[in-house]
Amino acid sequence: MPSELEGAMESLIKVFHRYASKDGVLCRRELRELMENELSNFLRSQKDPAAVDKIMKDLDTNGDGKVDFEEFVSLVVGLSIACEQCYQIHLKKTGKK
Amino acid sequence: MTDMEAAIKTVVTTFISSSKGKDNLDKKGFQKLVSKQLGGIMEDTNSSSAVEELKRGLDENNDGKVSFQEYLSLIGYVANSLSQSKCGTNADAS
Repeated sequence: MPSELEGAMESLIKVFHRYASKDGVLCRRELRELMENELSNFLRSQKDPAAVDKIMKDLDTNGDGKVDFEEFVSLVVGLSIACEQCYQIHLKKTGKK
Repeated sequence: MTDMEAAIKTVVTTFISSSKGKDNLDKKGFQKLVSKQLGGIMEDTNSSSAVEELKRGLDENNDGKVSFQEYLSLIGYVANSLSQSKCGTNADAS
């Protein structure tokens, strides 16, 4: 049975491929759909077209106008860092640290 | 929470619970995380010398510990290879 962390990686891969049609990469529209549906709680500006463009540009490191899985992982890393910082702030506020 | 958000949460909380809320994983914490959480997809996770080797590879600032960012590069690497091995056999995993 996979561990929690392994399960998390599996579900990231599944989510990516749910939106990346047969070509295995996300175009702008697919990235927007993914952000709207899958990050609705994390990203409040996910319906802002300028934000989608900016994230697309940041992620697309090879400049082909598409987001492949490797580039998508950078989004996950960025969100994890933001999430971790929130958590630390929360800990400090509640005085548990 | 969506699947993706839950996955990110797991990635973050796994690190935090292994580091006991500290900023870095020490040698013991890292070995425990790798053997408990990555034993199903990585080899030699019970070998302390192999895990130590892995830790040295991740430890970009050479402080002997694994920071959250260094941990994330491991997650990124493992997720990428997992995705590649899956796509090679069945692209329609979902």
